[in-house]
Amino acid sequence: MGCCFTTDINQGDSVKPLIPDPSLDSTSGSEQNTGTLPSNHTDEEDQQKSILRRAALSIIDVSAVVSQGLEQREYMDRARQYSTKLEVLNRTLSQKNPVFLPSLTSQPHQVLAADLVTYSDLQQLSKIAAYAYSAISQIKVDAKEDVVVQFSI
Amino acid sequence: MEGALEQHLDDTMKNPAIVGVLCTDAQGHNLGCRGSLSDEHGGVVSVLARQAASLTKDPTDSPTVCLESDSGNILVRTHGTITLAVHKMAS
Repeated sequence: MGCCFTTDINQGDSVKPLIPDPSLDSTSGSEQNTGTLPSNHTDEEDQQKSILRRAALSIIDVSAVVSQGLEQREYMDRARQYSTKLEVLNRTLSQKNPVFLPSLTSQPHQVLAADLVTYSDLQQLSKIAAYAYSAISQIKVDAKEDVVVQFSI
Repeated sequence: MEGALEQHLDDTMKNPAIVGVLCTDAQGHNLGCRGSLSDEHGGVVSVLARQAASLTKDPTDSPTVCLESDSGNILVRTHGTITLAVHKMAS
């Protein structure tokens, strides 16, 4: 076998084409072309086998590594368990919507970065509360007359 | 009898920064309200003040609960048997 633009047949595996072009064969000559067809067929088979062998050596079988220690039956059982648990969770989550908590603001960082409540505001609130309390304490029962009276018959 | 309280609430609302005021008793029953705060807020306001008071062991210490939002602050405070909430815009 050879590759393009050379008649060198001992270049090594690194440059050897996977599927050799029979028209470029320099040493095989016309003998193979006019030779027996079965031998050509077996040659191709051998080449295919060698290609497959080389590919199999470089393949890493991930599925073989992952499924170590887990049987198919156990795998299916676990998958079913997880899916039922997820269904239950999804149902409870969907029941919790709608959320009844109102959203105080759409810009929380702005509110958090705003000025703190001033001490004067707190003092004003205390004063308002104290006045309200004194106003409430003025609400009292004003007894004008007896509630229970004697009927004289 | 409630004239003094009503007058006091009106006077409170005269402050331009205050847009709402609410006065409730310890059970959340509304005693008087103005502006943005109304009957439906009475329960929440009284419970918030009560829960905040349980944060401290000192019974005379009355904390002020502040609800801050971009539409002003709501300040809640208990005085004796009543709870007062004031909705104040940021000045």
